[in-house]
Amino acid sequence: MVEREEILRLEGITKLFFNICALKNVTFTLKKGEILSLIGENGAGKSTMMNIIGGVIQPEEGSMTLHGKLYTPQRTIDAKNAGIAFIHQELNLFNNLSIIDNIYINSFARYPGTPFIKKSAMRENIRKLLDSIDLHVSPDMMVEKLSPGERQLVEIAKALSGNPDIIIFDEPTTSLTTRETRKLFALIKKLREQGKSIIYISHILADVYELSDQIVVLRDGVVVDTGKKEDFSMNRMIVSMVGRDIKQMYPAERPVAQAKKLLEIENLSQPGIIKNISMHVDAGEIVGIFGLMGSGRSELANIIFGLDPYSEGMIRYMDVKLNKQDPIDRIKRGFAFVTENRREEGLLMEFPVYDNITLAVLRDYKKAFGLVDNAKLQKPVAETVSELRIKCSAIKKNQVKGLSGGNQQKVVLCKWLLAKPSFLMVDEPTRGIDVGSKSEIYNILNNFAKAGMGTLVISSELEELIGICNRILVLSKGEIVGSFNSNNFDREVILGAAFRQNISNGSTNIV
Amino acid sequence: MTLLTLKGRGMANKFFVKLLVSEYFVIVLSIVYFLIISIFVPSMLSGNNIKNIFSNMWPLFAVAIGQTFVLLLGGIDLSQTSTMALTSVIGALLISSRMNPDVLSNSPLWGVIISENGGPLGKAPIVLSVSITIAVMILVGTLVGAINGTLISKVNMPPFMVTLIAQMFYSAIAIYLTKSQNVIGLPDAFCAIGGKSFGFIPYSFFITIILGVIAHFLLSKTIRGRWIYATGSNIKAARVSGVPTISTTIFVYAASGFFAAVGGVLYTGRLMAGRPTLGDGQLMDILGATVIGGTSMTGGKGKVSWTLFGVLFYTIITTSLSQLKLDSFVINVVKGLVILGAVTLDVARTRIQQKGTLSANAKSGKKVTLNG
Amino acid sequence: MKGSKNLKLFFLKNMAFVLFAVVFIIFGLLCKNWFTLTNFENIARQSSYIGILAAGMTFVLLTGGVDLSVGANMFLSASICGLLIVKGWPIWAAILICLLVGFLYGCFNAFFIVKIKVLPFVVTLATLMAGRGLTLIITKSEAVSMPASLVSGVGSGRLFGILPYPIVIFFLIVAAASIFLKFVPLGRQIYAVGKDAEGSKKAGINVNGVLAFVYIFNGVLAALAAIVSVTQIGNVTAGFGVGDEFNAISASILGGTSMMGGIGTIFPGAVIGVFLIQMVQAGLVYLQVDLYLQPIISAFIILFAVFLDSVRTRYIIKLEHRNIRTEEQVQKTQKGFTLRDLFDREK
Repeated sequence: MVEREEILRLEGITKLFFNICALKNVTFTLKKGEILSLIGENGAGKSTMMNIIGGVIQPEEGSMTLHGKLYTPQRTIDAKNAGIAFIHQELNLFNNLSIIDNIYINSFARYPGTPFIKKSAMRENIRKLLDSIDLHVSPDMMVEKLSPGERQLVEIAKALSGNPDIIIFDEPTTSLTTRETRKLFALIKKLREQGKSIIYISHILADVYELSDQIVVLRDGVVVDTGKKEDFSMNRMIVSMVGRDIKQMYPAERPVAQAKKLLEIENLSQPGIIKNISMHVDAGEIVGIFGLMGSGRSELANIIFGLDPYSEGMIRYMDVKLNKQDPIDRIKRGFAFVTENRREEGLLMEFPVYDNITLAVLRDYKKAFGLVDNAKLQKPVAETVSELRIKCSAIKKNQVKGLSGGNQQKVVLCKWLLAKPSFLMVDEPTRGIDVGSKSEIYNILNNFAKAGMGTLVISSELEELIGICNRILVLSKGEIVGSFNSNNFDREVILGAAFRQNISNGSTNIV
Repeated sequence: MTLLTLKGRGMANKFFVKLLVSEYFVIVLSIVYFLIISIFVPSMLSGNNIKNIFSNMWPLFAVAIGQTFVLLLGGIDLSQTSTMALTSVIGALLISSRMNPDVLSNSPLWGVIISENGGPLGKAPIVLSVSITIAVMILVGTLVGAINGTLISKVNMPPFMVTLIAQMFYSAIAIYLTKSQNVIGLPDAFCAIGGKSFGFIPYSFFITIILGVIAHFLLSKTIRGRWIYATGSNIKAARVSGVPTISTTIFVYAASGFFAAVGGVLYTGRLMAGRPTLGDGQLMDILGATVIGGTSMTGGKGKVSWTLFGVLFYTIITTSLSQLKLDSFVINVVKGLVILGAVTLDVARTRIQQKGTLSANAKSGKKVTLNG
Repeated sequence: MKGSKNLKLFFLKNMAFVLFAVVFIIFGLLCKNWFTLTNFENIARQSSYIGILAAGMTFVLLTGGVDLSVGANMFLSASICGLLIVKGWPIWAAILICLLVGFLYGCFNAFFIVKIKVLPFVVTLATLMAGRGLTLIITKSEAVSMPASLVSGVGSGRLFGILPYPIVIFFLIVAAASIFLKFVPLGRQIYAVGKDAEGSKKAGINVNGVLAFVYIFNGVLAALAAIVSVTQIGNVTAGFGVGDEFNAISASILGGTSMMGGIGTIFPGAVIGVFLIQMVQAGLVYLQVDLYLQPIISAFIILFAVFLDSVRTRYIIKLEHRNIRTEEQVQKTQKGFTLRDLFDREK
C-alpha cells in the first residue's frame, strides 16, 4: 500500500483553562486522503482540540505543522485560509438568508468596479457544488425552508466552497435521516477519493468503524490509544474511551422498583417533536431514556415538566391527571427537574449558592408578610449540603459561578432535594463534569432511589445509563423504540435500537 | 522613584479600584463632588440650597424606586411620567373645589362630573376627600402598571415599546381630560402632603422613606423579592425552578405604576395643581438617577439603597448646575452626558468585577469548568 | 385546523398589505373626496420625510437595534442649516453642513453603541435628550425660518412640473436603500448580523463595522429627512421632529420588520407602513376627529403594530423549533419550487 503523506501534525499540544488541564501533550498525525476519527466521552477534550486546530483558541504548549510548515492560527479566518474547513455540530447558518448568501456572506463576487453583487457567476458555482453533494435545491432557496439534513449539506457546501484540504466534521449525523446519513457517508468517501483529508468526530462507534482509516481515542485530555481501524475492535474503542474500572464508577446495588406507581404517560404526542409516548416510572426506580441527539429527549423532558405544550395524550402523577402547562403545580406535587443546561436553565450564576439552593422551596418557608424564613431554612439547607457533599466554604456569599461543574450540578440537585420531591427528572446528569464528581452523582441518585424516589434519567451516554438504571427506554426520532430491563442490558442491541432504521426496516421493536 | 512610592502607588491603585467597584462609590462621589463644587460655587453651602436639595430629592426618589423594580427584572418603564401626569389630573379633577369655566369648560368632563364647584369630591369632608382621592390616584397608577406588565409577560412584547406606547397613550388622555389646562383649587390638606414640612423636614421625606424601607425589605427579605431577582437574572432558570415569572412581571410593573402615582401625589401637592404635563422631561432624571446608583439595566442587580444614592448624586449635580445659573437646555445636555457617563462606568465596573472573580477563583484553586 | 394555521401565517406575513387595504377601503367609504389625486398626493407628501426616516430606521432595526434620537437629530441639523443660511452661507453649503451634522450625530451614537457597548436604546435616549437641549441652546429656543426660495423650490416645486420634489427624493432614497439591502454585500451582512451576531463574527463579518454603519447611515438619513420636512413647512420650531422616531419605528414594524432583527424590507414593507400611518392620520383629520384624540388613536395603531410583531415572532420561533421530519417531508422539499413560493416574499 502506498504510504500516504503527512498533511497535519499535532505535537505536544497542551491547553489550560485557568488551572484545569483540558488537553495534555496531545500528539497525532493526519495523512493526506485519510479519514481520521476522533472519539472520546463528553468532556474528553475533542471540541477543545478542534477549536485549537480551527484557530478559535491557542494552546499553551505544543505545535502544529501543516504541509510541513508551522501552523499557528490566531483566528478562524486563518484556519479557513490555510485550507481547513470546520463543520460544527451546531450549524452556523443564517436562516433568513438564501444558500448563496450564506456561502458567500463574506466573499461576494461583484461586478468589477461597482459594489453590486454579481449573482450569476456565484450561482453557477453553487449549483455545481450542490449537485456534487447531491443536494438538488435552488441556490436561491432560503435556508429556513430546508430540513435539518439539507441544512447540514449547505454547511458542508459552505465548507467545500473554500476548496479546503482538510475537513473536520463534528457530530454531523445527529439531525439526519437514514437516507441523509448514507448520502453523507458516500460524500465523505468521495472526498477522500479526491485526496482530501477528513477528521471525523462522533460518539456513534458504528459509524466511526465504518468510515475511518485511523482512530484516535481521547480520554480526559490525553491521547490514550491510536491506530489503524483494522486493529481496532468495538470493544477496544469502548475500553479506551472509558478506561477506568467501570465497576467502581457505579453504585454496587441496582435500584428496585417499589409497588407505588408515580408517573404514567399515555400516548403523549406533539407534532414534529414526539409521537405516541407511553411509559411509566414507579417509586424506587431509576428509568433511563437513551437517545441520540435529535431524538427528542430534552423536548420530551420539557413537555413532561410542563414547560412546553403537547397536543395529545395524558400525563398522570400518583393517579392524578396533570394540567398541561403548569410547572408550579408539578413542583407542588413533588416533581423535580434538573435540566441539561445548568448554566442557562438551572442556576442563577451571579447569585450565591444559598440563593440558588433555596429558590424552589421559598413558598414553603414563608413568614409573616411574605418574608423568607431563613432561620427555618438553616437546618434543611445544611443537611442537604452535607449530604450531597457540596464543596463550598461560604454558601451565602460565594457565587455559584465560581464552583466547579460537579459542584454546580450538586447545587442544582440540592435545590430540588430541599423540596423533598417524590419524582426526579434529570437531563444529562453528568455533562461537563469530572470523573470523580460523576461517581458521586451516581451514588446520590442511587440513594434517592433507595429512599423511594422515582427517577427518570435522560442521557446520551449509554454507559452511565447501563451503570445506574434498572430499566432503559430508547427514544428515536420522537418515538419509543425499545425497552430493556437490567438483566438484558446489551450495549450493541440498545445502540441498534436507537439507530433503528439501520438494522430493521423502520419497524419498531418494543419489548 | 523610591520603592516606597511605587508600593504606595500600587496600593493607591488597588484602593481606587476597590472603591470604584464598591456599593458606596456613588455616595462617596456625591460627597466629593459636593465639596469640590462648593469651592467654586459658595452658594451651594447656603442653608437655602441644602434645604432645596433635601426637599427635591424625595418625590424623585419615590418614582425611582418603581423604576428600580422594573430594571431589576431587566425591563424598563418609560411610562412613569405619563402615569404621574394622569394621576395628577385625575386626582385634581376629583378633589378641586373650584374651577374656572373659562379655563376648563372645554374638558370633556365639564358638566358631567366637574363644574364651577370643582370635582365630585370638592365639597366633601376633607379627610374623606383627600383619602379617597389619594386612593384613586394610587389605584390608577397601579392599574396602568399592571396592564403594562400583562402585555409584556403574556404577549411577550418588548418592555420599552410597551411602556413607550403607554407613555404616549396616557399622556394624551391626561391632556385630553383637561384640554391641556392645569387644574387648581386643590385643598390645602392635600397640597400639604407634597408641599409642606414638619419643621425642617418635608412630609414627602417621611412618606418616601417609609415606602423606601418597605420596598427595600420587600426586595431583600421576602419571597416576592427573591423571585424578582431570580426572574431578572435568568428567567428560564427561574421558570424551571417554579418561580411564577408572569405574576412576578405583572407585580413589578404594577409596583412601578404605584410609585409613579405616589410621585404624582407628591408633585401635585407641591405644585398645588393637577398638571397634564407633569413629569415632562423627567424620565431621564428618573432613569439616570437609578442607573447612576448602580442598578443594572440587564436585570438581577440593584438595590433601593443604591437608587437613593443615585438620586442624591443626581440632585446635587442638577442643583449645582442651576446654581451656576446655567440655561435649562445646557442642564439637559449635561444630564444626557452624565447618564452616558454613568452607563459607561457601569459597563467598566462590571468588567472589572468579572475579572476579579475569575482571577480570585484561579488563585484559590477553585475549578472553573468551561463546558468541554 | 391546518387551513386556519396557514391563513394565520399568511396574514402575519403580509399583515401590512392586508391592513393597508382594509384601512384604505374603510376611509374610502367614510370620507368624501377620498379617492382623489389631491388627497393621494397630500398623503404622499406628508409621508415623504417619515418615509426617509423609516428607511434609515429599518436598517437599524434589521440589526436588532433601535435609534430613538432621529427626531432630535432632525431638529439639530435643520436648525444649524437654517441658522447658517440666515448668517449668509450659500444654500448648498448649508445643506452639506446639515448632512454632516446628521453624520456626526450618527457617529456619536455609533461610538457608544459599538465601542463602549451600551444598549442602543439607552444611548439614543440619552442623545435624544442632549441633542434637543443642545439645539435649543443654539437656537435660543427661537424658531428658525427657511428661505422662501428653498420652500418654493424644493418644498412646493415639482420635477418635470408633475412630481413634487419631496416625493421624488423619498422614492429615490427608498430605491437606493432597497437596492443596497439586496444587491450590495454590506446590505446582506446587515441581515446576517441581525439574525445572529455571534455567528456573523465566526463567519468573519466585521460586525462592529456593520453596526456602526447602520447608525451613522441612519443619522445622515435623519438629516436628509429634516431637509425634506423643513422645506415643506418653512421653519424649524421647538416641536420639530418630536415623536418622529416612533412614527418611523412603527412604520417599519407595521411593514414587517422585526424588532428582533434579521427580517424586514424597506420596499414594499416600510413604505406601506408609512403610507398606512399617514393615511390613518389624514383620515382622522378628514373626519375631523378631536385633535386631542388623535394621538390616542395613533398610540393604538403603534401598539397594534408591535403586538402583531410579537405574535409573529412567537410563531416563527415555534416553527424553527427543532423539527423531526419524516422522509416524505424531506422528499417534498426536495421537489423544489412550489406555487406557494410565488407568494412568499423574499426577506
